[in-house]
Amino acid sequence: MENSNPSTSRKRQRPGPEPGPEPGPESDLNEAQLQSVEENFNFSDTLVALRMMRAQFPRIEKVSIPPFILRSQLYSSVKDRTQVDRELESLRREGVLCTFKLNTGQDDHAIMFLDDYFSQIERISKRLEAQKLEGLCVFEWFKEHVIHSKLDPSIGHDELRSLLSLGGKVKEEHISLLINAGLLTRQLIDPNMYWFAIPNIGSVLKGLSQGRKELMSFLNRRKYKEMAMAALEKKRLRLSPLDMRFHLRDLLGSGHLKTVEAPTGLLVKVVKD
Amino acid sequence: MWKEIGDREFGKLRTNLFSNRIKSARISSIQLSNYKDFISPHRGSINSLQVDLTEGRYLLSSASDTSVAVYDVQRATDYDESGLIAKHKHILLVDKQHEQGHKYAISTAIWYPIDTGLFITGSYDHYVNVWDTNTTQVVINFKMPGKVYKTAMSPVATSHMLIAAGTEDVQVRLCDISSGAFAHTLSGHRDGVMSVEWSASSEWVLVTGGCDGAIRFWDIRRAGCFRVLDQSHSQLGSRPTILTRSTANKSSMLKTSSGGLNSSTKGRPSQKKMGNGVSLKHAAIARQVRGYGKQRLHPGMLSSQDRATAHYGAVNGLKVTNDGMYLLSAGSDSRLRLWDIESGCNTLVNFETSRLQSTKALQLAISHDSKLVFVPCMSTTKAFDLWSGKTMMDLRGHYENVNCCLYNSLDQELYTGGNDRKILVWSPSKTTADELEGRDGQAFAIDQDNWSD
Repeated sequence: MENSNPSTSRKRQRPGPEPGPEPGPESDLNEAQLQSVEENFNFSDTLVALRMMRAQFPRIEKVSIPPFILRSQLYSSVKDRTQVDRELESLRREGVLCTFKLNTGQDDHAIMFLDDYFSQIERISKRLEAQKLEGLCVFEWFKEHVIHSKLDPSIGHDELRSLLSLGGKVKEEHISLLINAGLLTRQLIDPNMYWFAIPNIGSVLKGLSQGRKELMSFLNRRKYKEMAMAALEKKRLRLSPLDMRFHLRDLLGSGHLKTVEAPTGLLVKVVKD
Repeated sequence: MWKEIGDREFGKLRTNLFSNRIKSARISSIQLSNYKDFISPHRGSINSLQVDLTEGRYLLSSASDTSVAVYDVQRATDYDESGLIAKHKHILLVDKQHEQGHKYAISTAIWYPIDTGLFITGSYDHYVNVWDTNTTQVVINFKMPGKVYKTAMSPVATSHMLIAAGTEDVQVRLCDISSGAFAHTLSGHRDGVMSVEWSASSEWVLVTGGCDGAIRFWDIRRAGCFRVLDQSHSQLGSRPTILTRSTANKSSMLKTSSGGLNSSTKGRPSQKKMGNGVSLKHAAIARQVRGYGKQRLHPGMLSSQDRATAHYGAVNGLKVTNDGMYLLSAGSDSRLRLWDIESGCNTLVNFETSRLQSTKALQLAISHDSKLVFVPCMSTTKAFDLWSGKTMMDLRGHYENVNCCLYNSLDQELYTGGNDRKILVWSPSKTTADELEGRDGQAFAIDQDNWSD
């Protein structure tokens, strides 16, 4: 009813047209904020868990690794595993994250946010530019063509060549440059397939498998093969640069350890088959 | 329970619904049976179990000590002293003293699907034998190029009697009982074939799982396989939505165009699979990829170049659901995957398995309403809900690894056989009311209907 209280309606309408004559950057900021609220409006359990674990990723000196999350860690934090798998698949299809298959034993997968991966590729190509190597355009082609259309953790040789050639003429040196940078590896299963990899991850993987073994042997040596989680968290692992929380989540999710509720809190127990 | 019977009488409850409810209630209460037992004569680990498809009465078991035994599931041979436990001894035993018996471990024994007059055994001594049950003589035998891991006959076949045999050789052979010769061989796997199953809906479709991790679907009337399951093709849900199907095809088009899904129409598949908005450049690349320096192959054999894997290790066990729409596969990477057969996609249901044995084949079982899956996991048998993947039951009873499990839908019982040479029976618990109803002090295990003039 516009005629009944014209003054209040005018007052209410005032905030509306005000952002118009305001200077450019502020309105851009408002728009950017609005967009991010719209995009981040709905959270799924998996996305929240991923973000939280990414923030808790330990800092490792000497190696610049972007934070990654193991799939078994997700299984230990979100209850319904089928839902985790399906949400991961839809996030991958949307292009928010990418998965890599690690070669530390059975079916280990690492998940990384796509922005972190791209910034890592940028860092590598800048470092190699400083060494004045040839054929650095292959990193651009890799980013643009291969990653945007890939959904699997592996890719065949022919497919890789054909996708890279969308950017320009591809030579064998280009592919070996990618392998030297650590972005592609080969695994023993199939000589023709390249697997995507996280660069500089070698020492961390060694620490991962050794840390797992150390934690399992520590708990196995105890009398009742269990320990309170509060006490366990305070311990530091000698052989692994990753912290105890990382390893605990990973082993709980892969089924080697389980938690039991006790009157004093949570107990971590070794699973006996 | 009485109210439900009354409702069924008045027509308020449909008979199918009534029987399904009772069956589901019985199966969710199974435990190690305290009134039924099989006395197993085997001296080696039990590798396979099968109940015949016509009557559901005779159980066939095969073991690593080259013996095969048949038991009657419904009639006990004798009872123990107090009459509380029904003991089922074997009514037929073939072991290495038999002059036509196998020399090494028998990995698989199956009944002829039409009647119980014949049964087929496959063994590590490279032979597949067809036995006549009544005379216990070998009727035909087939020599294979390697150890036989699994044999299968189609339960719905009306026009052929082919035995599909998976061996450590890369080719799957089809043996014909009526002619005594090999019908054809199916090549495409790159390592031994550990599990073979016929489709429950079509008598021409065979599913094989190999040690290379691939699961292939074959139509035996054509050359080559028509589908290879790829674990990265997934759908979110029990059936694919129309939109997701086109995006999955967009990403997988580069691979499947060289796979040659429809071998009869060579040029058309690559165009059919294009979803909306795919540029022509991708089509050019697809054609380039296909003709990239390989010699011309028969269009049906293009599938041998498709290297998609369904598991990261060997495929140990396959089971098709009763309606023929979904396939469950167990791999040595300790994962169980559920596949939609029609679309060929992984439904991404996560079963909480921590370890599965990797050297031997596993036999999985599915309940009659396809809601529960029984999987042998090391020394226990776990029951998972098919669609959510949660562990419903954990059945511990064997002393060593469990190899095979079989679900008897007539009595809602589960039979499991393992490396400890025993066959255990898991049955719904009998309530105390049944116990008290034994008349004249006679124990309740004795079957009152077992009489004849």
